[in-house]
Amino acid sequence: MRLLRLLSWLISPLALLATWALVAHLGIFPRNLLVPPAQVLQTFEELLASGELLDHLGNSLSRLGLGFGIGSLCGLAFGVLMATSKSVEVYCGPLFHTLRQIPSIALIPMFVLLFGIDETFKIIIVAKTAFFPVALAAGEGVRGIPRSYFEVADVYRLRWPAFVRLVALPAAAPPIITGFRISLTRAWVVLVATELLAADSGLGQMIEMARQMLRIDVVMVGVVVTGVIGFALDYGFRRLEQHLFRWQTR
Amino acid sequence: MNAIAYPTHVHTGALQIGGLNKAYRIEGRDLPVLQNIHLDVRPGEFVSIVGASGCGKSTLLRLIVGLEAEYEGDILLDGKRIAATSLERGIVFQDHRLFPWMTVSQNIALALKNHTLPQAEKDRQVVEHIALVNLSGFEHAYPHQLSGGMAQRAAIARALINKPKVLLLDEPLGALDALTRVHLQRELQRIWVQQRCTVIMVTHDIEEALYLGDRVIVMDAHPGRIKHEIRVDLPHPRDRASPVLQGYKEQLLEELVGH
Amino acid sequence: MLSLLKNARGLLLPLLLVLAWEYASRQDAAGAYAFVPLSAIGTALLEMLGNGELLVNLLASLARTSSGLVLGILFGVTLGVLMALSSVANRLIGPLFHSIRQVPMLGWIPLIAMWFGNGEFSKVLIVTLAAFYPMVLNTYQGFSHVERRYREVGQVLALTPLQQFTQVLLPAALPSIATGVLHALAFAWVTAIGSELFLSSGAGLGNLMMNAEAGSRMEVIVLSVLCIGLLGYLMTLLFTRLSRHLLRWRNLR
Repeated sequence: MRLLRLLSWLISPLALLATWALVAHLGIFPRNLLVPPAQVLQTFEELLASGELLDHLGNSLSRLGLGFGIGSLCGLAFGVLMATSKSVEVYCGPLFHTLRQIPSIALIPMFVLLFGIDETFKIIIVAKTAFFPVALAAGEGVRGIPRSYFEVADVYRLRWPAFVRLVALPAAAPPIITGFRISLTRAWVVLVATELLAADSGLGQMIEMARQMLRIDVVMVGVVVTGVIGFALDYGFRRLEQHLFRWQTR
Repeated sequence: MNAIAYPTHVHTGALQIGGLNKAYRIEGRDLPVLQNIHLDVRPGEFVSIVGASGCGKSTLLRLIVGLEAEYEGDILLDGKRIAATSLERGIVFQDHRLFPWMTVSQNIALALKNHTLPQAEKDRQVVEHIALVNLSGFEHAYPHQLSGGMAQRAAIARALINKPKVLLLDEPLGALDALTRVHLQRELQRIWVQQRCTVIMVTHDIEEALYLGDRVIVMDAHPGRIKHEIRVDLPHPRDRASPVLQGYKEQLLEELVGH
Repeated sequence: MLSLLKNARGLLLPLLLVLAWEYASRQDAAGAYAFVPLSAIGTALLEMLGNGELLVNLLASLARTSSGLVLGILFGVTLGVLMALSSVANRLIGPLFHSIRQVPMLGWIPLIAMWFGNGEFSKVLIVTLAAFYPMVLNTYQGFSHVERRYREVGQVLALTPLQQFTQVLLPAALPSIATGVLHALAFAWVTAIGSELFLSSGAGLGNLMMNAEAGSRMEVIVLSVLCIGLLGYLMTLLFTRLSRHLLRWRNLR
């Protein structure tokens, strides 16, 4: 009975898959609009075997890593600064919140004109995307450390480095890690979108090329891989959160 | 069709409970909550029920109002078996449960939604009942703007406007501070004397039970069953300090605590 | 006077950046190419306002966003309600919904472009999808978390199922739905611009920017970016005010 319940969750995805296969088989739509799932799978294997997929993926992921690394670390530093220093908050705050409103996608044309379409511009866009959620979360995390923790540290005469390591960091960490997660998934999406529009390598570019050559099977492989990577990144971070913060009462 | 005719006067209902048993099924085992409850309530009578936590008092009320429908035995209102909720039975909960998104008037008026009555008459009834509970002036206030006592009064008005045959009160004053409680007990007494519907009230407060009730029923816990009954033959309105009441109070304390 | 100065401190940094920009534009030809002088931006602004170019594109983007938003809200709320009130629907549709949700919005653009072409339909479809997801999630959340004690009051008052829905469930779920609309609005706006960047035919701020990029007209791009940020902010502000008024019964301290 339990097994049946578990299996019932699979009904709709399987139904979709079956319908897809059937419609493709019946040839209702032209080949360049709809290919059978079997062929998508085959194309996936071909791309994997030829190394092309991994090539593109590697390019994308390395850009993601670099951009995310730079953006999130700067965001972390800035967020902590904004939360701890009143003057930083006053002078930089309004600008920060204004720039935050501007979607990264909208900056693509501007950055292309400023930096050209090679690696720099992509890294910068990813860094920009990664910067804001982390900065925001870091600010909130630090501001959220209860007054009482500082007082307890005072009572026990805790020195500053020890305080940060043992009290402040664990207290502020949960929202900060969540901020990292949101920033990473957002950065991934923006990166692929950027590659769709202006790139010579990478997953997005692979998709765009395939689109122009009307190879919908390659497009599908690309889209699915994008989704899977996004899911994996998000899931991985969630597991990290769960593991690191077992002590939290939710 | 849920629409029913509006009662022209307060019908008082006779409640008969016989051989009532209720158990909850938890993890494959039956947990008895009420055991062999017998209770006959005459029309217009005010019955108070006291007892320790876990004696099933609230469950009993929920069964009578119809929120729980599975039980063994009989619960009859004027001879008819109770199986679901109905506008003939009203209830006031400990948390007032006014809808936050409606004003006081709207909350009370909602109770009349399924009565076949012209709108003008409905409006008049709402105004009348707001005045009855001394909330005139607060018709357009939202629940979050009211104090605990005021919100509970609105809840009482909402329950009474249906002119139910039986009014159930589930620890109605339990969430209020002591001063408000005393004040509202007097209000309840005044309102009931006017309306004279059949009332069954569950409370922790022995004094409250004696002050308001014609009969006080003591229940025992695990499983819930009726242990003792006291008849309070004093006229309403009552004096809280009366020696007769104090005597009954000692009796009840004996029953509840010493055994 | 003092308080005015205090508030103005936030403007100091932006002012410095603007001055730095202007300085860079005067350095050399390359600087002027990338960092167009402020005067050029001003001129372009007046020009585009004058010939209506800015307004036309702006309205086109807004129109796309609104139609997509409305459709997304309509479908999203419907599905959310269905999944919350019917466990059968939840079990059947839920897994599919959640797995498709993993694919980022912008990833759908190439597929949709292939299937439905480069025109208006594709763009509005993409925006609708972007608004659809948060609406379903928040509506589902709102309706499935209506407190039992309120539903019981509805039962005690012998409300019909329709009355229970309109008088109890819907108002109780409204705060969640409002949050959903806020998110949907933000996504819809960004996605509209994104779809215009990608499917560059027709009018819109995104199209304006793509054309300007091709023609190396930085001043137009700067103006467009400012518009995009400003409009996004204004729409969010407007909606927040609206929902605060509609939901004024909430006890928020």
